[in-house]
This record gives sequence, C-alpha cells and structure tokens, in this order.
Amino acid sequence: MSLKLQAIGRSRHMDRLLKDILHILYDKKIGTAELIKQYRRTGDDIEAAIHYFKTYRRGPGTLKQLAFGGFEKYNKKKDKDGGSARILEYVKKHRPGIMHIGNKDYPTDLLNIFIPPPILYYRGKRPGDKCFNIAIVGSRRCSHYGREVAAYLSKNLSQIGITIVSGLALGIDAAAHREAVKEKGGSMAVLGNGPDIIYPPENRDLHGKIEENGTIITEFAPGIPPLKTNFPIRNRIISGLCKGVIIIEAGERSGAMITGELALKQDREVFAVPGNIFSPGSRGCHRLIKSGAKLIENIDDVLDEFKHLFQYKSRITGEAGDRNNFSGQKRHKSIITAVPKLDPLQSKVFESIGSRPRSFDDIRIDLGLETARLVKILLSLEIKHLIMEDPVNNYCRHE
Amino acid sequence: MNNYIYNQYMFFKLDSFALIGIDAVKVTIEVHLSRGLPGLYIVGLPGKAINEARQRVRSAILNSGFEFPVKKTIINLSPADMRKEGSLYDLPIALAILAASGQISPDCFNDSCFIGELSLDGNINPVRGLISMVEKAVDLRKKYFFVPAINAEQTSFFKEIDIIACANLKETIEIIDGGNPSGNACRKTCPDISGNNSHEIDLSEVKGQFKAKRAIELAVVGMHNILLIGPPGSGKTMLAKRIVSIMPGLDLEQCIEITKIQSLCNEPVNGIITKRPFKNPHHTISRAGLIGGGMYPRPGDISLAHRGILFLDELSQFPSHLVEDLRQPLENREVIVTRNQMSYCFPSNFMLVLATNPCHCGFWGDNENSCRCTEREIKRFWRNLSGPIMDRIDIRVFVSRLKEEDYINTELGENSRKIRERVGKAAAFQGNNSKGRKIKYNSEADAGLINEWLAGDERLRKTAFMVGKKFKLSARGISSIIKVSRSIADLEGSKNIKEEHVLEAAGYRAIKAYG
Repeated sequence: MSLKLQAIGRSRHMDRLLKDILHILYDKKIGTAELIKQYRRTGDDIEAAIHYFKTYRRGPGTLKQLAFGGFEKYNKKKDKDGGSARILEYVKKHRPGIMHIGNKDYPTDLLNIFIPPPILYYRGKRPGDKCFNIAIVGSRRCSHYGREVAAYLSKNLSQIGITIVSGLALGIDAAAHREAVKEKGGSMAVLGNGPDIIYPPENRDLHGKIEENGTIITEFAPGIPPLKTNFPIRNRIISGLCKGVIIIEAGERSGAMITGELALKQDREVFAVPGNIFSPGSRGCHRLIKSGAKLIENIDDVLDEFKHLFQYKSRITGEAGDRNNFSGQKRHKSIITAVPKLDPLQSKVFESIGSRPRSFDDIRIDLGLETARLVKILLSLEIKHLIMEDPVNNYCRHE
Repeated sequence: MNNYIYNQYMFFKLDSFALIGIDAVKVTIEVHLSRGLPGLYIVGLPGKAINEARQRVRSAILNSGFEFPVKKTIINLSPADMRKEGSLYDLPIALAILAASGQISPDCFNDSCFIGELSLDGNINPVRGLISMVEKAVDLRKKYFFVPAINAEQTSFFKEIDIIACANLKETIEIIDGGNPSGNACRKTCPDISGNNSHEIDLSEVKGQFKAKRAIELAVVGMHNILLIGPPGSGKTMLAKRIVSIMPGLDLEQCIEITKIQSLCNEPVNGIITKRPFKNPHHTISRAGLIGGGMYPRPGDISLAHRGILFLDELSQFPSHLVEDLRQPLENREVIVTRNQMSYCFPSNFMLVLATNPCHCGFWGDNENSCRCTEREIKRFWRNLSGPIMDRIDIRVFVSRLKEEDYINTELGENSRKIRERVGKAAAFQGNNSKGRKIKYNSEADAGLINEWLAGDERLRKTAFMVGKKFKLSARGISSIIKVSRSIADLEGSKNIKEEHVLEAAGYRAIKAYG
C-alpha cells in the first residue's frame, strides 16, 4: 500500500516539471543548449525558463540540440506529439530513476558546467552531492600496461570511498569500473545511449554490477542508440560529475582527450599517466603532461590536489581524509620485507627482472639456467606476487 | 570349391575379400557358364569399377594366351546384398572363369584367396587395404594368399600363411598349375623398422624458444595435446613439424596399424610404414576429409594421423564445427562413422597440435608492433576454441618472436636424437610405473587416477590449490596441470609428483588473458 502511495506521490512530483521539460525538448524541439541558455538568463530558475518557452516560443530551437541525440530519427512510431508522451510511458513502465534540473539533489558540480543535462535517467544509486567523484578514462584499445594502471588506481581510490566515474566502454573504462565496483566507493557509468540499451554488449555483466554498487547514468532518451556523435556529448557529463579526471593511454585524437579538454574548460583537475614514448597510445597523455596536466604515479599524487577539500569531505566519506591508509611507502615496504624469504636461485632470477618486460629466452640465456627450472622459479615468483607475466611471455616486476 | 561339369552347365567358386572400413570380410566369387547369348554379367551389388572389370578381365585373359569362353557367363559376388567397390576382384574373376571353363587345374583353390587388379596385358596392379585382408585370411585358416607382387612386401611378416606374389596372370596360372604354391611363396621376413628414427628435420634447427621446446617435449612424453600461440613468423609451424622427430620409435605392431589405415587411402602403399605420420590439413578441409566418411567410408585425417600428429595450423580459420568434431575422437581415441546403415570404426589415437595467432593481426600484446584489433575482434577470434576443446588441451605455450640477434646466432640447440632418447626413457618409466593401470599415457588419466597421484601428499594438494586460485583455473584446468606434472616427474624419473613439478606444469598453462 505504502509503495503505491509512494509511487503516486513520486509521479505527481515529477509530473509537472518533467512533463514540461520533455515537452520543450522533444515536442517543441528546443535544444538542450537553448533551454540551458534561457535557464541561466532567468537566474537559474527552471520554472521561469519553462514559462518562457511555453508562452513566447513557438518554432524549433536554433542552438545546437545536444541531448536530442537523433531521437526523431530513431523514433519509429512517429508520434504526433514528438515523443515526450512515449518517453513518459517508458519511465512509468520501466521505472528508471529520473532526475531533472529543478531537483534539489541534482549534483552541484554537474549543474555548474556550461551545459548541464536537463534530464538524467539513472539506474542504481541516485546520484547526488554525497560522494566524491574522480573520472578514469582512456583508450578502448589499450595495452596490458594501461589496463593494469587503470585497475590499480581505480581500486585504491575506490577503497578509500571515492567513486570512479567512467564511460562503460571497453578497455580502460571497463578495467576501472571492474575494480571500483568491488570496493567501497563504487562506480558511476555515463552512457552514450538511452537507458534501455546495454552497450557494448561485452560489458553486460559489468552493467549489472555497477547497478548494484553505483550508478548508471545517461541524458539520452530511451530508444536512442549509441551513435558516435553521442559520445563526445556524454563526455562533458563524465568530467562534469567529477573533481578530477585521470587519463590513461589516450591517442592524440581520442575520446579521452576530448574529456580532458572538457575537464579543463570546466575547471577540473586533469591527471595523466605516462606511458611508453614509442607507443602511439600514450601520445595524448604525454601531450597533456607537456601542457600542464599533472603526471601521476599513484593515488597520493591525485589526492594531494584535493587537500583543501578533504577536510570538508572527510566527514561524509569517513576514512577519505585519513591519508595514512593509502600511503605508498607502506606498500613498498611490504615488498622489501618479502624478498629475503626467497632462496638464492629465486632471488637471482628476481634480481634479473626489472620493471621493463623481459622475454623468457632473454632471461634464460642471461642466467644460463635450465628451461625447466626457470619455468618453475618464474611461476613461484609469480605466485608470490613479485613478478607478473604479460600475455606474450615477458616478465616484469609487479607494479 | 568343386569344379563339376554337369550337362554342359559349368560352375565354380573361389574366395576373395571386401573391405568394410578397416576390417575385411570374405567375399565368395561364383562363376556360372551356361548356354545362351555370349556375354559376361556381374551381379551382387558391384560398384562401377567392378562392372568395368568385364573389359579388363577379357583382355587380360586373351593377352595371356588363354581363351575367353564363348558362353553366357554370370558372376555373383556373395554375400549378394553387400555393396562392393574397387578393382580388386579382377584376378579372382579371371581365375574363376578360367577354372570354370576347364583351362586350369583348381586343386589348390580350396585353401587359397586371391586379390589383384588386372591391366589389359595381364599384369597385376597393386590394391589397397591388403593387410586387413590377409589378417582375415589367417583367421579363416587359409593356406595361400595370392597378392599383387608390388604389394607383397607389406604382408611378408605374416608367419601363418604363404604369401604368393603374382606379377602377371600367366605367371600366376603357372604357379597354380604347378600344384605346389608354397614353393613359390615369398620369404617370410621381419620388416626393417629401424628407419623410423631418421628424420630430415631436426629440432636443433629451431633457435631460442626454450620454453616452447620444453613444452613439446613434455607433450610428447604424456601425449598431451598442445596449443602454440604466437605472432606470425615466430616459428609455430616449424616447431610443430619437428615434433614427430622427437617422438619415440614405433614398434612393429604400431607400424602395421598405421600401414593398415594408410593403405586404405587412395595411393596404394607398397611396404610397411615405419614413420609416425604428420598430418597438416588445410582449413578448407571437409568434414568427411577430417573425420572420415564418404559414400564408401574412408579414414579421415584424424585416423591417418593415428600414432602421430594432427596439426591444425591457423586454428582460427578452421570452421568451429570441425574443431568441435574432434571432441569425441580425442576422448575415445577412435571414430565411428555410420553410413548406409553400417558403422565403420577407425582408430584415431593422435596427438593434437594447434597453432594460432593471438589475434587477427597477430600482434596482440606485442610491445613493438601494436595490435590493431578491438577487444571484440579478439573475443570473436577466440570463440572457435570453446571450453570443451580447450579443456582437452593440457599445454598452452606462447611462442614469441625472435629478435634480430637470434636469427644470426648460429649456435644450435639440443638435437632431436638426444631429446628422443630422453622421451623414450620417460615413456618406458611411465610404463613401469603404471603397472596395473589402464591407461597408456598420462593425458588419459581420469579423476580417480589423479586423486591417487595426489593422495598422501598434503603439500602437493596445497600447491595445486594455490596455483588454481592464482590463475583462476577450473577443476579441469587443475587436473590438466596435474597430468602435465606427472609427465615432468616421468621425465625426471621420479616416482611421485613433487611440488616443483606442479609449479613448472603451471607455467605451461600460460594463456590467462585471452578470450
């Protein structure tokens, strides 16, 4: 009974404002940009902006129609009203979370960007101001190294309660999400398509996990497919939701670089992880570093930039302010204490392996050990988490 | 059997054989000469080649200086309801006609069998599947077997039966008329199988690749199936081709087995095959070509690779249904092909060697040549290797690209002979150690046997568990590692599996990040 009442209350609450915004966006075909322009002009009062459009404007919008996302083209039913009724129907039926620009808990950081999305559909936890967000973005075609870095940073940040925001793409994004959802901070995925589509299909399992410990969020109406033009539009939300953006492995002209540029425009911190100077995949990151992005190696480098915020934020996220928990030094110490446990042969092999990947044949010729013995030693070192093997049979030290 | 002239109706019959799959069955050839319009008719479901025998037999008889009876001649191949094919009945048909028309004395025919294809001038051409037929003849307690002279060497090891080599029809008739065929029998010899250890290619020609070399050595010891993964030009094919050269030599029984199967295929085999086969089918091979089949079922490449190696190069190019088809033969070590309400069983005890690139462009994970494939493409690329097939592959090893300095390095590695000796020793040890167990090779071990191996060693079980946890292995994955570590222990001559063996074995299960 109470559920039903709640539902009625909720629908009444959302009814007027939501209906009006959808009506303006989809039926009157006023673009997001124009709606936001009017919203700013009226002193951040959405009701006044709506009133303006309902009373004075008849024709379609003139500014770039951001959140439109090709809705008309993919609206196969060709609704007479332009589609807002059907979107409402979907919302009533499938109950995705919905949030619009007049809501009190609309994330402040997002509201302050140049063109905040007027409507957000979400699944999972309701987004809000309560969490401290950092974005991790990067190439879809990433290297083994890139994936490791993403997982490492994401895990450590999430452990202290920071939410990791990313785009649910393959590669870096997926690696970051995958680690974050396991930890305290959880994860937030911003989609480039409607809330009813799971894209890319490879991340279906991840989609479910994020719903459980985090939020899936999109500004695109149900039914909008993942068009390539949607993604740069969506990137402004990724950076907008966050205090800082970490970029791992980005090509010179990639989506991650767009996110980085947007983050700069939105006055966010931009962090970049260096990579191999010969690899084209790290060129974007290196360009960012050259033009002033902060080079980071671990999460201490990230958190240093938010010292002023953390006193304030620590009340909410609990341990987030306690920096001793994630001190890099402690971790190194544990490795140093582990080394003496090795037998002489093992430590000889361990010493011959550096942080640069080295091939099996190379190590064997260098040390002159029997193949069988070397395979055994390498594996035992690997089990001890001292070294790791990449997919092409090269070995390097862990982290 | 009996030659009788009864009121000018002349009848005669003698024995020959037909092949069903790899086995032979007796076929009796009956001839009846009667009055009527002259002509030669063959009944008893003959194939096209047998029907054409009419022309060959007539010409051969005439060209050998005998007369072809001007009678209505009917030939029946009994059992009459079984389809027969091939040209192997030419000689028995010719002899039966000659005997029925009273031109030769049929004294020894009761104890004899005949096989051979005639050419028009009376010469006898080789046939396929001879060994199976001679085996059947021994079972039937025949005394003499008349075979084409070219094939005769193949059957010379049979002690129980006299093999009579026939070069042409005239000579054959002289032997029969002489009344003492055993005087003309081939010398009974033991075939020379020492040639099976000489190979033109040698493993020492492969530079570097220490891990892969060690892995194939282990694979050969326990007959483990192996997957080689590597970028283009890294030497996967080169390694695979040389696996045969490190496999221990065959004994006579195995040689005969191989010859039996291989002589069923198109090209007649003259002697005994003494080398382990290496089959390298192209990925456009048909299902029947790989597994066996056809209207008259022939062994496919999996059976032709019996006791040897089946190498599927560029695995991802093979249609996935072909790869899936290998599941049952891998499990049972034989394949049953059912056609025309009849089942044919071919042995297929081979070692499967697979080679593939890590992704479509071949450079996935390479630091210098960056890969151009998307994650989805890589997934699709690996989809061919479904779980059940992957489970049957105990060893997976990466073959990395050689560096420039390795190409010019002239130092040769260990040669095949040395490795072969070591492998032979390990295989023998395996045999001694495994008294009372049903299996021949470690790869065939089942869960019960693996438990037995693990029993009594707490630390070993703990290590296996730890390895499984670290690399997120399934139960099958862990049992694969145990099987391989048993092979390592065999190679070392150790009675029990030790912890270090398990650790090394885990190193050959390298493929963690793919698919």
